[in-house]
Amino acid sequence: MAADVTRLVDVENGRISRRIFIEREIYEQELERIFARCWLFLCHESQISRAGDFFSTYMGEDPVLVVRDTEGQLRAFLNVCRHRGNRLCRADAGNAATFTCAYHGWTYRNTGQLVGVPFIKEAYYGALERERWGLVPVAQLESYKGLVFATFDPEAPPLGEYLGEMTWYLDAFFDRQEGGIEVVGGLHKWTMPCNWKLPAENFAGDGYHVTWSHLSAVRSGFGGDFRVGADPTGTALSPGNGHGVMLVGAHMIADPPAPEILAYEEKIFPEIVKRLGPRAGLFKPVAGTVFPNFSMLKPTSRTFRVWHPRGPDKTEVWAWVYVDTAAPPDVKEAVRLAGVRVFGPAGVFEQDDMDNWQACTQTGRGVVARRHPLNYEMGLGHEGYDDDLKAWASEYRFSESNQRQFYQRWAQLMTAEKWAEIKG
Amino acid sequence: MREELLREVEQFLYREARLLDERRFHEWLGLFTDDVRYWMGGRSTRYPPSSKGITVLDRERRESEIEDELAILDETKMTLGGRIARLDTGMAWAEDPPSRTRHIIANIEVEPGDTASELKVYSNFLVYRTRAESEQDFYVGSRQDVLRRVDGAWKIARRKLVLDQNVLLPKNVSIFF
Repeated sequence: MAADVTRLVDVENGRISRRIFIEREIYEQELERIFARCWLFLCHESQISRAGDFFSTYMGEDPVLVVRDTEGQLRAFLNVCRHRGNRLCRADAGNAATFTCAYHGWTYRNTGQLVGVPFIKEAYYGALERERWGLVPVAQLESYKGLVFATFDPEAPPLGEYLGEMTWYLDAFFDRQEGGIEVVGGLHKWTMPCNWKLPAENFAGDGYHVTWSHLSAVRSGFGGDFRVGADPTGTALSPGNGHGVMLVGAHMIADPPAPEILAYEEKIFPEIVKRLGPRAGLFKPVAGTVFPNFSMLKPTSRTFRVWHPRGPDKTEVWAWVYVDTAAPPDVKEAVRLAGVRVFGPAGVFEQDDMDNWQACTQTGRGVVARRHPLNYEMGLGHEGYDDDLKAWASEYRFSESNQRQFYQRWAQLMTAEKWAEIKG
Repeated sequence: MREELLREVEQFLYREARLLDERRFHEWLGLFTDDVRYWMGGRSTRYPPSSKGITVLDRERRESEIEDELAILDETKMTLGGRIARLDTGMAWAEDPPSRTRHIIANIEVEPGDTASELKVYSNFLVYRTRAESEQDFYVGSRQDVLRRVDGAWKIARRKLVLDQNVLLPKNVSIFF
């Protein structure tokens, strides 16, 4: 019996129950109805560019192996041997034609096909139907501009429909120049003692916290001045389906404060407008979240990340640094350094976030604290559809409009038995 | 290597660790040369070349080195100074309340450096961090330093730190090593 979450999320009045951030039963339902159902980000294609390349990740708590098979086709499977359920691939990344389970030696081709079972004739008397015991594939896998997504739900709408108008905003982060983006080096992986929704909603729409949470880093010269400088403009924008983006005015400088990057951004701005259309001339993108747990950031650091759920009060973040493929080497190096110094586990901005999200989660263990809903009413009634931006937009630059859209989508998915019941 | 020099280097590193544990960060920064590169990386998991767990398809696909991974810290003296200035703003929330740290430095080896005024120094670190009521973390890894004699005193001209964890278990790296 599924938990009834409808009374826990009141977006009309901007009230969210703390139970959704701490209760195990609700978390288990999220694994079923959010993570086993939604399109989730796996990796960037530049990580698995050659035949045989693989990358180990997770969809929810399910371990997943993403491969470019010998023929060059992208595939993703549960990283789980079909025999006893051992984890098949033990490395983070690499290149392989076949994977052999460490337990009994069952071997799978990088297409997922089971090709080797020791003693198959003698011990199984030839009765084991190998073709039925290949790796469990994802239900659907698609790439958007190099971003690889998959879903375990065959009934999920196609990726393009799921992303909807968000595709245009993804272009504004990841397809600004010919060649799109590439990832820099490996990735940061670390553990946050908080519920996964807190970082996801933060990147979706919390411009508000920057002016206080991160003021120490802004004042110490690590960027982010656009949030606290004079005449700031911007909006919180919901392109639909629970996705959220934050924008600032086109006249504002919203980039890491390295001279190479600032000169590069100034130079390419007209080119971006030419490539993406006049909408790109109206604003600069700052951050965003593709529902449920894929987030991105452009100023101060260029990062995208997945918030892997690890229980109601634990999140594992996997964070990449990205840069325009077409950017010159000095810009790429400056982007790498800003990525390391400002975000990531040691990032002068990000380290303060983890600490806040931890306590926002843990105080919910108190049963009395849990009785009092959280306040998400900022900007209620001061938001509307913007024809130019083709999305639901807040009037003021700070608003909890995007968070309300995020939790509305969350409640829809948690309530619906299947995709057909969910409105687009 | 002379015994006297080993002791001198050990005492230098222990004093440095004490400055960190006592949060005397401005004095600590003074131990670095102006051209220092202070770098920390993590560890990824790869199949070793001899592993029978996979058959490699593309032999030219080079296995990555620690240096190819995304650094956790890649700092200059100026950015280290920026981090310390941030702590002084009174709004660096990850360090408010401050971490209580204990830097244990061990396995110190000293080798001749690339120039007569430099030494290569290897060490291991185990840093215990506790904070607020019951938070605790262990940061364990290796350190490779280049020490340089400047005006009669040792300074750190290069520091390479490698944390042994793959997925970092601490929520952040808000302290120095």
